[in-house]
Amino acid sequence: MMKYEEIEADKLWEGVAKLLCGGQRTLTAMFANDERMVNGSMAIYCIFAENSSGKHIALKALLKEEPYEFPSLVALAPAAAWYEREIHDLFGLVPIGHPDLRPLVLHENWPQGLYPLRKDFDESLIVSEANKNYPIPGVEGAGVFEVPVGPIHAGIIEPGHFRFSQAGENVINLEAKLFYTHRGIEKAVEGLSVETAFYQVERICGACSVSHSMAFSQAVEKIAEITIPARAEYLRVLTAELERLYNHVGDVGNLCAGLGFAPGVSHGGRIKEMLMRLNEELTGNRFLRGMITPGGVNLDISTDLVSKIKNILRIVETDFKELIEILKQSGAFLDRIDTTGILPRQAALDLATVGVGARASGVDIDLRRDFPYSVYDKLDFKVPVRVSGDVAARLWVRVDEVIQTVQIIHQILHSIPPGEGLLKTVIPELPPYASALGWSESARGGNLHWVMTGQDNTLYRLFVRSASYANWPALTVAVPGNIMPDFPLINKSFELCYACIDR
Amino acid sequence: MINTLISIILIMAAAPLIEGIIKTAKARFQNRRGPSVLQPYYDLAKFFGKDSVVSPTVSWVFRLAPYVYFATVFAATGVVATGGEVSQFADMLILIYLLGLGRFFLALASLDAGSAFGGMGGSREMFLAVLVEPALLLALISVAFTANTTALGGMAGAAGGLPFSLPYILAAIAFFIVLIAETGRIPVDNPDTHLELTMIHEGMILEYSGRSLGLIHWASMAKQTVMLMLFVAFFVPWDLPGLSQAGLGGIWFVIKVMLAAGLLALVETSTNKMRIFKLPGLLAVSCLLSLLALVAQ
Repeated sequence: MMKYEEIEADKLWEGVAKLLCGGQRTLTAMFANDERMVNGSMAIYCIFAENSSGKHIALKALLKEEPYEFPSLVALAPAAAWYEREIHDLFGLVPIGHPDLRPLVLHENWPQGLYPLRKDFDESLIVSEANKNYPIPGVEGAGVFEVPVGPIHAGIIEPGHFRFSQAGENVINLEAKLFYTHRGIEKAVEGLSVETAFYQVERICGACSVSHSMAFSQAVEKIAEITIPARAEYLRVLTAELERLYNHVGDVGNLCAGLGFAPGVSHGGRIKEMLMRLNEELTGNRFLRGMITPGGVNLDISTDLVSKIKNILRIVETDFKELIEILKQSGAFLDRIDTTGILPRQAALDLATVGVGARASGVDIDLRRDFPYSVYDKLDFKVPVRVSGDVAARLWVRVDEVIQTVQIIHQILHSIPPGEGLLKTVIPELPPYASALGWSESARGGNLHWVMTGQDNTLYRLFVRSASYANWPALTVAVPGNIMPDFPLINKSFELCYACIDR
Repeated sequence: MINTLISIILIMAAAPLIEGIIKTAKARFQNRRGPSVLQPYYDLAKFFGKDSVVSPTVSWVFRLAPYVYFATVFAATGVVATGGEVSQFADMLILIYLLGLGRFFLALASLDAGSAFGGMGGSREMFLAVLVEPALLLALISVAFTANTTALGGMAGAAGGLPFSLPYILAAIAFFIVLIAETGRIPVDNPDTHLELTMIHEGMILEYSGRSLGLIHWASMAKQTVMLMLFVAFFVPWDLPGLSQAGLGGIWFVIKVMLAAGLLALVETSTNKMRIFKLPGLLAVSCLLSLLALVAQ
């Protein structure tokens, strides 16, 4: 369970400044909670990551009475910009001094003064269509024009609107309007039992199913103060790494589509398909759903399957190396990816970027190593880091991680304890109003789930900070200065998820 | 006259097949099965069976452009088809300007609908046209110089006399680069992409649908066939002995065109799209090779 340092809302700035400690800690999540039924006030939580010790430190600010206001932290920690806008949208708490308080999650069609994550919001309410303004900043000047793209795109991808300010082919500014398909999962799971809520959590995102279910389960298990069977831990890590593997392999292939390199696309697609069929054999689901459950895992693996996984890994390794050789030998390919879409290291630090996006810009973070969970501290693996911050760096980080992941899976299969007894610990009665943070490193970076229990084993509040949520703002920093036809390439190199933020 | 007409109809009818061959070859090079060779015919049939959606803000240019584009390509086909006979219209300059006229109207139409993608496609196409047209002209001039005529028939005849000489080899490479640019293929443009932001030719015609889109696609395929025929006529002129005597010269020509189409597919599979601002370099190489071909004569 988590400990919180409680302060008054108007002391928030000083409290956070002290905890950030001049860059030694990062603001890794910030969210609100309507605790008026519990202690009579709104609460704002700030979670800080201290990489040196591998600990999360939490600060809780109480907003006792209306008007609910708190000092904006954007000037202190730029990463707070999106969090505060979301708190403003969903809870109606006002960050005073925020430079850009346009709606983030709820667009121009959501009526004013209706805050869906407050407890007194009636879920059965049929919300009327509002017609507010949604100004999107642009650049003006001679020869500068705007190019709107989306929210509906030509490929089979999720909705997002991008507004480019252009001078010729050069991008001067990029604004992204996202959250078109926000599903309100955080609200929907309130009042549900942990087991029922889990199914929605597992379905937040397709490509990060394992990562989300793992983070959520770990948070629940921390509240329940249980440990799960050792074999179950190994099986969890096995599925988590298989998820990383098919994502990375598929992403390398997809990147080739961004510059029209067809052999890479079909090669990557073929290897990914092989892995997804393995996923289906392992869990009955191509996205590996159904394995992890709060308290342990649902499925075991047979020795037959173990040797099958080893076989497929061998094939994947050879074929993937062949693909990488093709890419490395193609001068035309390297010419397109080198120095394209650079995310400077300072921007990555300021925006608290995570995962591949951060590691390609010289920020050496990986939750598996820095905040070890499950059995990662028993495994031997390296965390690849590159410093150039361009499309190439993100590609080669992924490529190196594929090699590491294959190693990890081999270690898991080698050292998994034999199956005896149950693979699942029963979750006892959960204490009311207890909270904990669970995390896992997905293919895109760290996913954080903060869970607070209510009465009778239900959920009071769930907050999900996905890796894509942390990284989307970084994309709009990396694109300006490049030419427009390079946008799809840069976008694919970050490989951000819409569903992960539309939770 | 009748012969020319039959040739034009044959070329127009075979154009989708050439496209299908390129697509199938590409699929095979990528280890895919790919759609049927006849798929472009099915696509055209589908387009011609559909209504067009036209934006209410467009002018007559938008409606007219597909017909103009089709007409210019049809005429260009005619110019090439009469190439065997001596005709005052079968001139390379007429061919170049016919293609230029069609391009001009498509670019105008791309601006007409006022969509950002159309405008970008049009501006990129014009940026390329400035480089492609002189390159095409130079490549053809280097052939015309040897033949001492700009008549296509005379040029082909002269080329047939001197296969594998240095000027022709240089000019062949120069022309092939232009061929790639004119047919909108990798590394210049990507005909298979769905990424609007990277499109050139496809970007220009994004606003078209149904019959007008079908017309544009058909014209593009015919243009591609015409360019391939020119390439074969000028630079792959050698005959298999015996075939011409047996009256099968035409079939041999068709086979050569198909092989050239396969070569196009091979180039497309072996590389990726270049950054748009590096394209002038590629086309400059083409111009330079043509100049060398001229000097080498």
